[in-house]
Amino acid sequence: MLSGTEADIINCVARLKETTKGQIRRQVGFSLDYIGFLCRYLVRKGYLRFVKGHYSLSKEGIKSLLSQEEPKIDRELLKEIAGGVAKEISDELKKTVKSIKIPVKNIKEKKEIGRQEPVKIKTDFEFPVEDESLILESNINKIGTNLEKEKSNIEKSVKLFKKIQNGRKKK
Amino acid sequence: MIEKKEKKGVGNLRDEIQKGKGVDIGTMFVKCAQKESEEIVFRTQRNAFFEVEHTDFTKKILDNSKVKYIIKEDKLYVVGDEALEFANMFNKETRRPLSRGVISPIEKEALPMVELLIKSVVGEPTYNREIVYFSVPGEPVDADFNIVYHIKMIEGFLKTLGYTPKPINEGHAIILSELAEEDFTGIGLSFGGGMVNVCLSFMSVPIFMFSVTKAGDWVDQQVAMAVDETASRVSAIKESSFDLSKEKDLNKIESALSIYYNHLIEYVIENIKQEFDKTRRMPRVVKPITIVLSGGSSLPQGFSHRFKQILNQLKLPVPVGEVRMASQPLRSVAKGALVAASADESRK
Repeated sequence: MLSGTEADIINCVARLKETTKGQIRRQVGFSLDYIGFLCRYLVRKGYLRFVKGHYSLSKEGIKSLLSQEEPKIDRELLKEIAGGVAKEISDELKKTVKSIKIPVKNIKEKKEIGRQEPVKIKTDFEFPVEDESLILESNINKIGTNLEKEKSNIEKSVKLFKKIQNGRKKK
Repeated sequence: MIEKKEKKGVGNLRDEIQKGKGVDIGTMFVKCAQKESEEIVFRTQRNAFFEVEHTDFTKKILDNSKVKYIIKEDKLYVVGDEALEFANMFNKETRRPLSRGVISPIEKEALPMVELLIKSVVGEPTYNREIVYFSVPGEPVDADFNIVYHIKMIEGFLKTLGYTPKPINEGHAIILSELAEEDFTGIGLSFGGGMVNVCLSFMSVPIFMFSVTKAGDWVDQQVAMAVDETASRVSAIKESSFDLSKEKDLNKIESALSIYYNHLIEYVIENIKQEFDKTRRMPRVVKPITIVLSGGSSLPQGFSHRFKQILNQLKLPVPVGEVRMASQPLRSVAKGALVAASADESRK
């Protein structure tokens, strides 16, 4: 069973045919990281394919989604896609329509009303920050800082965090 | 850098000091965490200062009493915990280089002061371009300012010191520090001096992060106004003896603190609910989520109990499991930043 957001991503990819993570994020919401995480999950589950930075519905995905009772999926849209293809190809191919990649280029994007995404700033202004503290006279270094120590217990967290991040990168 | 230390006979520090540092840059404290052998070492400075008369005599007295100070031109400032003591002694307020979680726009000494305090806790990089994760607040939902300038200034300064700086959200750092058992899934809350930071994370990926600008300082100021005291004195009482579980025989200040803590907790929970509403669709979380409470303003006795009481009344739109205090509420942000830095360094 797909979650609401996963279903939204499937519907979004179906509408846009081939789309980037950023485009999905603009349609569905949430952070880019989280959308990337879900997309990779959907690729792993076989619903989506990921080629050259673009996500599209996989033929297995369409086949599987049409055969499932998946309430959150826009079945009408999927049927429309399947129907359009079916007209273009022969009856023989129609029988195997579930196992081929279905073009979705004629499907118009459904615009969500009332949601305006904030503009994302992509450029960066890097500048050297001078050490203004050099003009200060102080005895802080002479006296030192407050020092506390505790037995380290972060190894497990570091390992797990790395594992999760590496897993995401591999996918 | 490390080579220099070795030449000086400090020993084989390369084996003992492990790469990567985590810095918590908070309104109240600047704290750096670093792993040395089997321990995590935390170096801390209080982010407050107080101007005193600048004479050679005062300076000598401060030196002899090991009270930290900073001199800029003709001004002498007492820095750190003692600034709070001086402020209380003179019945005045301390000044802060950071306000509401970011470099104070109204304090002209803010930048050099923050730089000095950061430099004193992070020191030199152990290796050239060592990774340091520094905490940053989430975008405030209740104030008309953003955090870009603050992040760029701190980042630029750490680069100047020879580090590779990377920002990490304060709430997210708490999750990395405290929620490994829960696969980094849950809500991290940092009740700081200038802000409360919130992060909902799913498998270490932040789902939403935000901050509110009502926090410990706000409580102090409201209480101070209500009972005609200085905020510094209220803060001192809050930090030393205030107990939120106490219900009887409260004095005027304690009663006011209790009232405003209630208000603050409710305000934070309501904002979390609103954020859930905004996201509309929740990720599929199988287990009830854990909430971790952290930060200097969460230190009064009975804080987590009060939080749970209010949460039970207000309810979040997701099932909540355990609500617990961070193992070390004042260290968890720096420790979480260190987890991220260590993970990055070990991938190099």
